[in-house]
Amino acid sequence: MRRLLSDSGWTLGLAGLLAALLVMTKLIQPDFGVSGLDSLGRAALPFALATLGMAVVVIAGGIDLSLASMMAVCSVTAARMMEGASDGQSALALIFVLALGAAMGALNGALVVASRVPDIVVTLAMLFVWQGTALLILNAPGGAAAPWLRALGVGGLTLPLIPEALTVWLPRSVIFLMVCLAVIWLPIRRSPLGLRFYAIGSDALAAFRSGVPVGRTKIAAYAVTGLFAALGGIAVTMSTGIGEPIPGPYLLAAVAAVVLGGVVLGGGRGGLIGPILAVFVLRLVRMDLTLMSVDPNVTTIVEGAIMVVVVMLGGVLAMRGRRT
Amino acid sequence: MKRLLLGSVALTLAAFAGMADAKPWKIGISNTVQGNGWREEMVCAMKAQALASGEVSALNIAHRNTDAAGQSEDIRNLIQAGVDAIVVNPANADGINAAIKEATDKGIVVVAVDQAVTEPSAYIISNNQEEYAYLGAKWLFQQMGGKGSVVYMRGAAGAGADNDRDKGFKKAMAEFPDIKIASEVFTGWQQDQGKQQINDIIASGAKFDGVWTSGIDNVIVDAFTESGAPLVPIVGADNAGFVGQLASVKGLKGAAVTNPGSVGGAGVALALQILDGKKPAEKTVLVDPVLWDNTTDAGKAQIAAAQNPKLSPEWPVSVSIPGWTTYTMDQIIACKGPGE
Repeated sequence: MRRLLSDSGWTLGLAGLLAALLVMTKLIQPDFGVSGLDSLGRAALPFALATLGMAVVVIAGGIDLSLASMMAVCSVTAARMMEGASDGQSALALIFVLALGAAMGALNGALVVASRVPDIVVTLAMLFVWQGTALLILNAPGGAAAPWLRALGVGGLTLPLIPEALTVWLPRSVIFLMVCLAVIWLPIRRSPLGLRFYAIGSDALAAFRSGVPVGRTKIAAYAVTGLFAALGGIAVTMSTGIGEPIPGPYLLAAVAAVVLGGVVLGGGRGGLIGPILAVFVLRLVRMDLTLMSVDPNVTTIVEGAIMVVVVMLGGVLAMRGRRT
Repeated sequence: MKRLLLGSVALTLAAFAGMADAKPWKIGISNTVQGNGWREEMVCAMKAQALASGEVSALNIAHRNTDAAGQSEDIRNLIQAGVDAIVVNPANADGINAAIKEATDKGIVVVAVDQAVTEPSAYIISNNQEEYAYLGAKWLFQQMGGKGSVVYMRGAAGAGADNDRDKGFKKAMAEFPDIKIASEVFTGWQQDQGKQQINDIIASGAKFDGVWTSGIDNVIVDAFTESGAPLVPIVGADNAGFVGQLASVKGLKGAAVTNPGSVGGAGVALALQILDGKKPAEKTVLVDPVLWDNTTDAGKAQIAAAQNPKLSPEWPVSVSIPGWTTYTMDQIIACKGPGE
């Protein structure tokens, strides 16, 4: 019970930090409003999906350094397939890309399981493999995104029968993220598979002795990561309207948000809401620093410092909690 | 009382008039490559031009390593910050169009520098990258006597400027059918990577008669002098280090093609012109490169004139663009914007 409380306590703390940052943003820039929230949601979307992918594999006791490269492969594949395609063909292309992401992830996982080489080494090697693959598919930024797909992430939510003023402040990009989370993660979390992710993450040997098929579970976790990477790559294409073969800065940002979000890097502990909140906190910090026109070279130092302070503070609080 | 009111109204009006005269524009800048000499010069040129113009009250700089999605985020943050104009070095030609459109819809002037964007509401001032590669490659192939093999050291795979340069390079190749590519590598515009690659090529013993580089140039000359390998003609950019080598390294035949990072300053100048109501006739302004070779007297004179020991060796030496930038050499080296 206490463990549950401290886990959700971390999430609540992050939510509080996010709220405080939103208030601060409003103070720095009194015009901050619906369009600002929309910008924030759109900026956060690819980072959030990358973070979800990383969080799942970290919970299962692994780590996937090829995440950003897989996103690039999915982004260029989607952009190439959607170029000149009809709406229906584009929808099929997206389904193909999602399957491709899951397959790439499963391949990563299978290599880790079969080779018994540490996750970090295998996925580092795969980082280069997927990076080259992305460039083979598209050697320069190009392709296109279906207009309906781009519209999914732009503007505020409007629902029939409900006055627009009530819902417009909620960005569609955030709804998109929530739908991805609900459709993919909720069923897994509530199924035996979700429990096994946590089991092999906290103690693979104990899980094995309790009858958990460790290898298959690990492959499944990597496949889910690949699926989120595909969504992240699609989100990049949604945002830019093209495919980009050079991976963006998503790998380290995802690891950072996972840690800040309360997922233990050793595996077995943490949820997915915390990391999402962490992504928004980090994006909002970036926005505030731009609004205050802080020296750009100082900006990254501030971002890093905030992470260290928050994680250390969390550690101190957790230790206090254990003592009482 | 009435007089007091009138007086304060007059004062307020005068204050407004004064403000209108000072034109305190707020300019936003977005750049997606950090720690590269060319880009650093570009940002310094932007700061120096904003300061020298006297028309800019504040610069808001988003300068980090990111992709087009991240740059869109930066542009939207600059829109939130309420800037009057945004000068941007785009991550690629299409990826930030949506964010640019949002800015121009709000009446913000957007100027893309260095590389083009396909969003029609943006102004573009850029170096002609295709011509850059064509000019240097043509000179190199002539030096090689129109035959032999060339080491083709490109920039970053997938970058827009690299693709444009590839077009120019291939155009020159088509004019010299007896020229073959001995080896084609991507330096990623990274000094250490390029040096490693040329060392590998020299060590492999492969035969080549010339080296074309996409601006990673002084380390290539270093590799030849350090290994004692016979020098071949080398084409690079107008980076201070390489231009210095053209004047000092014995037996080196080479040419520097200008690719001024100061185009960033020209971008700020163009944005201010547009804010002041003087729009250019065309939405795209191209700055054409110039070639300085150390095999002719005219070229040698240009190389000698461009030397400045105060410049960082990774900065392009063409620190200003006549007709566009108005800052002094000291101002760009100081790299200070308004209010710094």
